[in-house]
Amino acid sequence: MMKRLIATLAFATLALTTAVRAEDKPAKVTVGYLNLVNAQLVTKHLGLLAKEMPGVDIKYVKIGGGGDMLRAIAGNDVDFGGLGNPPTAIGATRALPIKGILVINMLDYVESLVVRTDKNITSLKDLKGKTVAAPFGSTTHYLLLQALKDEGVDPASMKILDLAPSDIAAAWLRGDIDAAWFWEPNLGKAVKNGGKILVTSGEMAKRGYPTWDIGVVMNAFAEKYPSYVDKFIKAECEGIDFWLKNPEKTAEIIAEELSLPIEDAQRMMKGTGMVPCNKQLTEEYLGTSAKKGKFVDTLVSTADFLVKQERLPKLLPRADFEAFIQPAYLEKVIGR
Amino acid sequence: MSVEASPMAIPISADRTRRGSLRLRLPRVSRSVLLSTLTVAVLLAGWAIVTERGWANELFLPKPQAVWAAFVKTTTKGYQGATLLQHLGASLYRILTAFTLACLVGIPLGVIMGVSRNARALLNPLIEFYRPLPPLGLYTLLVMWLGIGESSKLSLLFLAGLPGIVISTIQAVTSVDPVYVRAAQSLGATRRHLLFHVYLPAAGPLILAGMRISLGFTYTVLVAAEIVAASAGIGWMIWDAAKFLLSDIVIMGLIVLGLTGVVLDLMMRGIAKLLMPWA
Repeated sequence: MMKRLIATLAFATLALTTAVRAEDKPAKVTVGYLNLVNAQLVTKHLGLLAKEMPGVDIKYVKIGGGGDMLRAIAGNDVDFGGLGNPPTAIGATRALPIKGILVINMLDYVESLVVRTDKNITSLKDLKGKTVAAPFGSTTHYLLLQALKDEGVDPASMKILDLAPSDIAAAWLRGDIDAAWFWEPNLGKAVKNGGKILVTSGEMAKRGYPTWDIGVVMNAFAEKYPSYVDKFIKAECEGIDFWLKNPEKTAEIIAEELSLPIEDAQRMMKGTGMVPCNKQLTEEYLGTSAKKGKFVDTLVSTADFLVKQERLPKLLPRADFEAFIQPAYLEKVIGR
Repeated sequence: MSVEASPMAIPISADRTRRGSLRLRLPRVSRSVLLSTLTVAVLLAGWAIVTERGWANELFLPKPQAVWAAFVKTTTKGYQGATLLQHLGASLYRILTAFTLACLVGIPLGVIMGVSRNARALLNPLIEFYRPLPPLGLYTLLVMWLGIGESSKLSLLFLAGLPGIVISTIQAVTSVDPVYVRAAQSLGATRRHLLFHVYLPAAGPLILAGMRISLGFTYTVLVAAEIVAASAGIGWMIWDAAKFLLSDIVIMGLIVLGLTGVVLDLMMRGIAKLLMPWA
């Protein structure tokens, strides 16, 4: 009788301690990654996250664009995600429980406005009366409207359609659309089939409208497992370093992950800007916890634009966007 | 009520039955109305309390006032270039066009398949195969074939509505009492007479019931049809607003969709009564 009691007690204690230990270690981590060309594919391919988090079940979910990512975050379907600046501005304004912790990539000509060569479109003004596609709520939709506004072209003078990148590629091949602003790996299909690039997102960055994707973490996850946020950043930084140091091997990985010819992968890689993690804490990007960087400016101006487009109800004070950017985790990883 | 019973009943209490029926009927109608109103009121009150107390995240469940404000704003100023009425118009145009086409094709098809065993054998594999296919799976193919314009949207709605009409028409026609057919034939009815004076009138009520169900099904596919490359329509509005996390617009759109669905169904019932008073 006594023996049995001791055994039960011992078992209960063991169960309790393991339960406590399991508390500070998540059973499963879900990473939502955007279907585009960046170092997250390298991190995923090399299993760097699994190395940082042994014993944790890691699940990667591919997500088509910013709008879908917002829904996944609102539905609590991911622990980590990636968002372009317009969806980030939307998420921050609508008080989604997320924080921005890492620069995933800067967008250059990996995103571009492609126009049909045989339609004689040489400037944005020529888009009048044409059918133009962009995934609504994404970086490119924002840049399209911004570019039209700067050129003084009324968006109502053309037909602007909301299509997912893969649907844009299909509609392009069928000849349903004359122009589209979207991103690789689908952009190349349009260029190859009678398209030419009119404006790139990189050119828009030079005009003062930078676009980027930021890595985000769910607040609840960060509060419960702060050390796992560090581990996530560490793994992603390793991926970025690998990208910068081994371009050839990276191209092979991208080609395999996206089922592309290697030349395409190389071209797309050049159109994406990777920021080494120690540089991300400078004024140009996230900044530091003490002084947040230019990402806040971009978020404020993006949100302001979306308010004018009646996509957002009101412009939040700058402090709210500053609170969204959290370089503290990256600072810890870099050791500052 | 029935003719046979009246001679006995009339002298005793014509007055009383009238008054009695008045007493009985009025409360019955108002009671069901009252109960229905109660359900709606309880729902609304629950919604108001939950949001007022802050039990629900406003991002997911906005206050009733916010949804009302969204309704007013969309009706007067519009949502992304079209007013609520224009969005509703675009959707109704799609629904009604596709549904009319489905009826024009489905009812004759169903009658032929119901009357002729050979036709049924010929066409059944087709109908039976595509009927259970999920509309969204079908849609990707339709977009590839027909493009992103109106034709793929209408085709999806048409294909969603068709099988219900065909199957209910077959059932309606096969369940027509053969005595009616033989009686008409013995009186020298031609095939044409049989169709218009026996089959259709006898099968009409069941066909109409099938049409009602089919219209409802077409309606449920609307949002899916408007996801791809639409720029107007209630389904598109809901989908677009969800991308920007505008849950007040989403909920308002859903309420409008629901109410419109009820009105459409009422109209179908009204038409049924007009066309087939014997049903």
